[in-house]
Amino acid sequence: MMKRILSILAIMTAVASISCSRQKELHVFIWADYMNNDVITAFEKNENCRVVMDFFDSNEALYAKVKAGATGYDLYICSSYMVNIMNDQKMLQSIDLWKLKNIGNIDPEYLKISLDPAMSHSVPYMMSFAGIAYNTEKVKNFVPTWGMLDRSDLKGRITLLNDLRETIGAALKFNGCNYNSLNPAELDKARQTVLRWKKNIAKFDVDEAKRGLEAGEFFLIHTYNGDALQIISQNPKIAFAVPREGTSISVDDMVIPTSAVNADLAYRFIDHLLDPEVCSKNMEYISYLAPNLAAQKIMPKDFMQNPAVLPSKEILKKSDILKDLGADNATYSKIWDEIKSAE
Amino acid sequence: MRRSRIPFYLLVGMLVFLYLPLIIVIVNSFNMSRYGGQWGGFTLKWYSRLFSDRTIWYALGNSLLIALTSTVTSMVLGTTAAIALYRFKTRLQSAHRLFIHLPLVMPDILVGISLLLFFVALKVRLGLFTIYLAHVTFCISYVAMVVLGRLQDFNYAVIEAAMDLGASWPAAIRKVMIPMITPGIMAGGLLAFTLSIDDFVITFFVSGPGSATLPLYIYSMIRHGSPMVINALTGIFIVFTFTVVTISKKLLEEK
Repeated sequence: MMKRILSILAIMTAVASISCSRQKELHVFIWADYMNNDVITAFEKNENCRVVMDFFDSNEALYAKVKAGATGYDLYICSSYMVNIMNDQKMLQSIDLWKLKNIGNIDPEYLKISLDPAMSHSVPYMMSFAGIAYNTEKVKNFVPTWGMLDRSDLKGRITLLNDLRETIGAALKFNGCNYNSLNPAELDKARQTVLRWKKNIAKFDVDEAKRGLEAGEFFLIHTYNGDALQIISQNPKIAFAVPREGTSISVDDMVIPTSAVNADLAYRFIDHLLDPEVCSKNMEYISYLAPNLAAQKIMPKDFMQNPAVLPSKEILKKSDILKDLGADNATYSKIWDEIKSAE
Repeated sequence: MRRSRIPFYLLVGMLVFLYLPLIIVIVNSFNMSRYGGQWGGFTLKWYSRLFSDRTIWYALGNSLLIALTSTVTSMVLGTTAAIALYRFKTRLQSAHRLFIHLPLVMPDILVGISLLLFFVALKVRLGLFTIYLAHVTFCISYVAMVVLGRLQDFNYAVIEAAMDLGASWPAAIRKVMIPMITPGIMAGGLLAFTLSIDDFVITFFVSGPGSATLPLYIYSMIRHGSPMVINALTGIFIVFTFTVVTISKKLLEEK
């Protein structure tokens, strides 16, 4: 018995070492199903290397793992706010922009609101944003504003995201403030706004709301654009709009950890992903927008004119990227508890 | 006296409770609609996406490899531990008993993080091998517990009889005790296999580059992936399991 186990182990190590020595490997740590397979295969062919993907289920899990010392990854693709935290902890390499010949494709308008406007340690991959998805048959006189949440004719048919930053943030934006506001007066006003909305809505929810909107149980839900696109592909009666006051934007960035073994290959992979053709293939596959102007130009018109894909420039300017607030997160949690426990 | 109908209703209720979710998953794997809230028409597209997704199969291969190897190892080590606990009642063995119980009560996240810190400190390269070690760590306990339960009813006089008839102690264990507790070992092994194949928390921490297992992949799909592909995979799994069980039962009956 022991012999058999030992031989299995020996085979395992042998297989692992053969696959290591044959070709260069690039190890990417990313969300599952977040990249077009053809894009990866093309890179493997060009560079004669192997791309190995590993997955995490939340930004926090990724952080806990790599902070504890897990190494071997050459590239992470994770949310901006986590990139911010990791950069503060000196866990990321600074990016040498000269090594990326496609870097000029990045939208300068986007960079103005980015958490890393100089791209000193991160390059944006994809962006998504929150907004309002609604049933065009049931919602009359739709106006793209957060004020829709006050409409009494939709009472009990609305849902808000069960996410403290998104929902308090939407109220802040409705009152003309920033999503990352720490001003007590602004926050108190936002709390009252959400409390008023709470009386008008059915519930705070993320996933059940999507099913409910598709099935006709809810008429108007606060949701993310990627999810809205998927609901629309199932049910053409649904439409999506970004409130004119602005919204929250979340971005996934590509970063190279200090522990990367194959940093050069990671640079070439980032450059590959910034290539207009490649980037547009990725956008088509995951239905998210990349802040890549050259790629946006060659995307099909109906993709780019879809408000669920691309908010207008004016709205983009008024929108904010959610920041990690560190110790001040507690302020938001406290407000959220008050909202959740209120009658 | 009329027999009560309550047991029958209970049985039906239990069967519905256990099997209805599985049926819903299988039916939904043919559902055109992505959310499964409504029936959007019959489709095989989730199955075709499943078969064209190379990562899922790679992850499934990793999962099976780890589950098989860690099950076999923990069956050997767990049985040995159980026999030692059964046979010797020294103070050292009570410490041993504590060590066997510990992984059962420790929260997964603690085990995961401490194993990760341990491997990092020893500079062990994270990968399939570290996942294998971690899984063996918690599987041993389960196998040992099940085998120990089996040993509670074991009549030690049988071993004494074997030794009276000239068997050495190791031979008596090998030829008499092991065959008698084999069902317990098998049950422990099956338990270890199921625990290993769907462990997420510990695996996430001790996995390294290129060693994603199926649960890691499925959990990560929550954000961007389509759950319907997983429904399709589950459908195939269920059909496969039922077929194997039916065939093995048929074979046993023919004997």
